[in-house]
Amino acid sequence: MSEQEIYDKIVGLITDKFEVEADSISKATSFSDDLDADSIDLVEFVLELEEEFDAEIPDEDAEKITTVGEAVDYIKDHQK
Amino acid sequence: MKIAVDAMGGDNAPQVVVEGIEKARDEWTDLEFVLYGDQSKIKKYLKNSDRIEIVHTDEEILGTDEPVKAIRSKKNSSMVLAAKAVKNKEADALFSLGNTGALLASGIFIVGRIKQVDRPALMPTLPVINSSLGVNMLDVGANAEAKPAYLQQWAVMGSIYARDVKKIKNPRVALLNNGTEEDKGDPTHKDAYKLLENTEGINFIGNIESNNILAGEADIIVTDGFTGNAALKAIEGTATILLKQMKHALLDNGIFTKMGAAIVAPSLRGLRDMFDTSKAGGAVLLGLKSPVVKAHGAADSETVFYTVKQIYDMLLNDTVNKANKYFEQMSKD
Repeated sequence: MSEQEIYDKIVGLITDKFEVEADSISKATSFSDDLDADSIDLVEFVLELEEEFDAEIPDEDAEKITTVGEAVDYIKDHQK
Repeated sequence: MKIAVDAMGGDNAPQVVVEGIEKARDEWTDLEFVLYGDQSKIKKYLKNSDRIEIVHTDEEILGTDEPVKAIRSKKNSSMVLAAKAVKNKEADALFSLGNTGALLASGIFIVGRIKQVDRPALMPTLPVINSSLGVNMLDVGANAEAKPAYLQQWAVMGSIYARDVKKIKNPRVALLNNGTEEDKGDPTHKDAYKLLENTEGINFIGNIESNNILAGEADIIVTDGFTGNAALKAIEGTATILLKQMKHALLDNGIFTKMGAAIVAPSLRGLRDMFDTSKAGGAVLLGLKSPVVKAHGAADSETVFYTVKQIYDMLLNDTVNKANKYFEQMSKD
């Protein structure tokens, strides 16, 4: 999957979950600062990422994903 | 209607779980059960497997496990498998006596929230002095913080539950606060008061103080999870210490006091029965796509039976969908 495809899928997940417009999201968007996500939102989002991309994201890696760009990079680097 | 049961959770599992489920199966002929857990241990107590399926697993979540980590690392545990069955629509509700935090996590992250509900809340039934129906308090610890909108959503869901399951026509909703006047409390509680006052479909009666939680003045008490948890534990702790001290005063102070104790014993037993909420079932995690209910880890088979009744009433009345529809309508208005 290309980086753009991963990005589009992740933006799709975010617009659905956080009820924001796709054009308001960029790679720099921070989950906690820009999307007002709390710890429950973040765990839910990581589980959705795992399901969407059939990935396993260990807790210690999940903690490092704070922006949309970091989520895209993580999925890109851990593709099966 | 099918209920997924984590058969391994609780102090006396799977025995009390199997006994309570069998009694419930005999009572309600349209109910089916799937028990998740150690097959040989379950079979040891199961007398009749009619409408009871067993899904074997060796893995279980312990009381000491860290909740979110446990549901992510113990994917074949009885609780996680039962939650997944509900998520995949193979079952209609989830029931466990196990680790409360892990059940909250399973409910929120596996079963999933109703879209319009920001945060699910944990809602037990507490005894009150003037009614066997008790009072429902939420949230008692699923969330440490709350926004006024969460409290409003909990008031709505609690009211729907009280109407459907407890058959109270116009349940009284109160906001736990540090005074009864409407301007009491921090900004969250002041805003919540205004919001609740203007919420359609609920009967908001104002603020309530913690000394009146068990006074029977309200049917639903909404509070943030931090305060709710502290208040609940204060009540439990006070009751335990009081009973212990009473027992000590009656039995450890000579023969005459003991004779007096024998005379008042029947009244004391009556008091105990009055505060017995086992017929109310377990604590419900409200705000999820399907009913998720937690019975006390030390529950007996009778409580298991009544918790199934509670779940049955929620399924029969479509309680979850009513909340769903209410919030959908609210978001359109």
